[in-house]
Amino acid sequence: MRASHLAVSGCVLAALSFGVAACGDDKDSGGSDSSGTKSLTIYSSLPLQGDSKPQSDSVVNGVKLALDEAGGKVGDFKISYKSLDDATAAAGKWDPGVTASNARKAAQDKTAIAYIGEFNSGASAISIPVLNGANILQVSPSNTAVGLTRSQGAEKGEPDKYYPTGKRTYGRVVPADHIQAAAQVTYQKDTGCKLTYVLNDKEVYGKGLADQVVSAAKTQGLRTVGNDGVDGKAANYRSVATQIKASGADCIFYGGITQNNAVQLFKDLHAANPDAKLFGPDGVAESAFSEKIGPSVEKVTYITNPTLDPKLYPPAGQEFFKNYKSTYGADPEPYAIYGYEAMSAVLEAIKAAGDKGNDRQAVIDGFFGIKDRESVLGTYSIDENGDTTLSSYGGNLIKGGKLVFDKVIEAQS
Amino acid sequence: MDAATTAGSPPPQADRRGEIIGAYALPVMLVVALLAQFIYAPQETAEAVKTGLSNGTIWALIALGYTLVYGIIELINFAHGEVFMIGSFVAVSLWQVMGVTGDSSGLVIGGSILLVLALSMLASGSLNVMIERVAYRPLRNAPKLAPLITAIGMSFILQNVGLLWRPTPDSAPDLIASQETFFTIWGVGIEHSDVFAVAVTVPLLATLLWFVGSTRYGKAMRATAQDPDASRLMGIDVDRTIALTFVLGGLMAGAAGVIFALYNGTVRFNQGFTAGLIAFTAAVMGGIGNLKGAVLGGLIIGVIQAISDSGNYLGVHLGQEWTPAVVFGVLIIVMVFRPQGLFGEETREG
Repeated sequence: MRASHLAVSGCVLAALSFGVAACGDDKDSGGSDSSGTKSLTIYSSLPLQGDSKPQSDSVVNGVKLALDEAGGKVGDFKISYKSLDDATAAAGKWDPGVTASNARKAAQDKTAIAYIGEFNSGASAISIPVLNGANILQVSPSNTAVGLTRSQGAEKGEPDKYYPTGKRTYGRVVPADHIQAAAQVTYQKDTGCKLTYVLNDKEVYGKGLADQVVSAAKTQGLRTVGNDGVDGKAANYRSVATQIKASGADCIFYGGITQNNAVQLFKDLHAANPDAKLFGPDGVAESAFSEKIGPSVEKVTYITNPTLDPKLYPPAGQEFFKNYKSTYGADPEPYAIYGYEAMSAVLEAIKAAGDKGNDRQAVIDGFFGIKDRESVLGTYSIDENGDTTLSSYGGNLIKGGKLVFDKVIEAQS
Repeated sequence: MDAATTAGSPPPQADRRGEIIGAYALPVMLVVALLAQFIYAPQETAEAVKTGLSNGTIWALIALGYTLVYGIIELINFAHGEVFMIGSFVAVSLWQVMGVTGDSSGLVIGGSILLVLALSMLASGSLNVMIERVAYRPLRNAPKLAPLITAIGMSFILQNVGLLWRPTPDSAPDLIASQETFFTIWGVGIEHSDVFAVAVTVPLLATLLWFVGSTRYGKAMRATAQDPDASRLMGIDVDRTIALTFVLGGLMAGAAGVIFALYNGTVRFNQGFTAGLIAFTAAVMGGIGNLKGAVLGGLIIGVIQAISDSGNYLGVHLGQEWTPAVVFGVLIIVMVFRPQGLFGEETREG
């Protein structure tokens, strides 16, 4: 009696400390397969609290729309969808503990066939190994950090350290940051930058992108200084902005996400450097940023973002924008279309697996086998790294609190 | 000063010398470190000191809340940072409701700032005393860990309230043309926000110090801090005195919230967490329980942050990503050599 009390309380303590949800029966846990069942579950894990909420809600809507249009099934397989939140209120953004817990939740669900997420590259660096161990297909609608899939331009040990089984289980439907960095530098040169000060938010995504921008700038002949990390929890950035002023830079690039206090950063950068042009990546391409920076900062802000003007998409893409608006009554945030496509690609992978649609490995093979897929984003294939062959990035301005498409950037190499 | 230092036999000569060195060596070291940087890069350092001092006034106002409460019931009120955040939120909401913007007339702006300052202080003061009533008073005689945990709990609950209220960062109207230069002194532009922060903080601090030091209520607070039981025997209403302390702490946090909103122009639901941590550090660095220590601690941390943020200390390039490490590194040095903080023994209510 006493021993069982101890076991239960130990289990509760462990669950509280580590978010483990595996107390009790061992038979169902870890690495189980969905073979045999006709009911499959697709999870998504996105930051649904804090500044990320508007963007993530929109991605979830995109995911749901794709599943609804498919009638909630593929062949004989009934697909249900579960949306998980990888953020905490305290952090105001994705949280490592919650992310790991979400991945384990999917890994322990016998019906889990795929996992859409994470939204942030740093979070995926945590969930990929867990899902890799359980052999579950993971497709991110938005991760752009190079090191998740490629070794070129990545940190030491990437990407192999994310795949403990040695097999690839992760892919993405958005072009990675080596392409964004080239586009970003081209955009900076096109707008007349001579010397760019580079800042980053120290995360896997932000630091990785900033490094890529510095290297792309070298290739394209744009001078850069800095590449300093900024503290996403600081009250303000006045001293940082003053230091940048002293460097004589005419452009400033921030590699990072809105949730690391980007609104305050851009305001302070502009106040101290009113003539400098400010550049941001897709990590700030959302209403939580564009609606808050104010009219004077808007005028000098330029954002790169893989989402293009709706008119530039194939008919299916234009249809998506129309359907989204009629279903949800508002225009989608930039990544909603990638949420839609992530779900569509997963459904396609299940379809490609045929009768083995409930076999995790067959579905992974189905995803990596995607070739010349005609999608809402255009026609693309998935390469051996899990990356899309799409490569278009758009330049955006901000007007009246909204992202306004400027042009497609043909990145110089 | 408290009774403990006067009781017992005087410490041996060598100890006293060590104490004097301990008391003065660290402030002197900090001043020397600042002077060295000033000689190395005069203009940059002057800019950083200016920014640091004005930022530091916000930390100082929040730190006062920590130190007041600790002084009287020896509790770290972890929810205090959130009380500050709510102060900011109330201020921004009031301006939105009143429709005051940077384009309104000077009279409207000035009047609205005074009104909003008063109402936000009142809101934060009331919230703080409510927290005391709900989460701390029932645990007055419980083990010390119990109110510590309820304090952390209140902090998270209030963060969620903030999250529901404003899920994304919101802009405060730029009523004071925050980053425009007011005047220039030795090449350093003093901005409107710097003047505003100091102009609001100094009278508040002076009033608080006068209140605690010279009024009957202040005397009751100090008496309760020294010995609650004896105070009760002397006819002091201890519960009311403690509630008053929470009100005072909350008022300061509310004022800090208003300054923060106008100074930085953006409010976020999790701004209280970092601000609370920094202000708590300031209170500890200055000597927790010591009001003047908390203020000086706030200003010192503000300056350390600004110099570290500007990224070049005597040729060592660190930058803002290292700032938290630098601040806490200095705190560790201070604590190792002077556990009671820079400016105070562990006295209560300074």
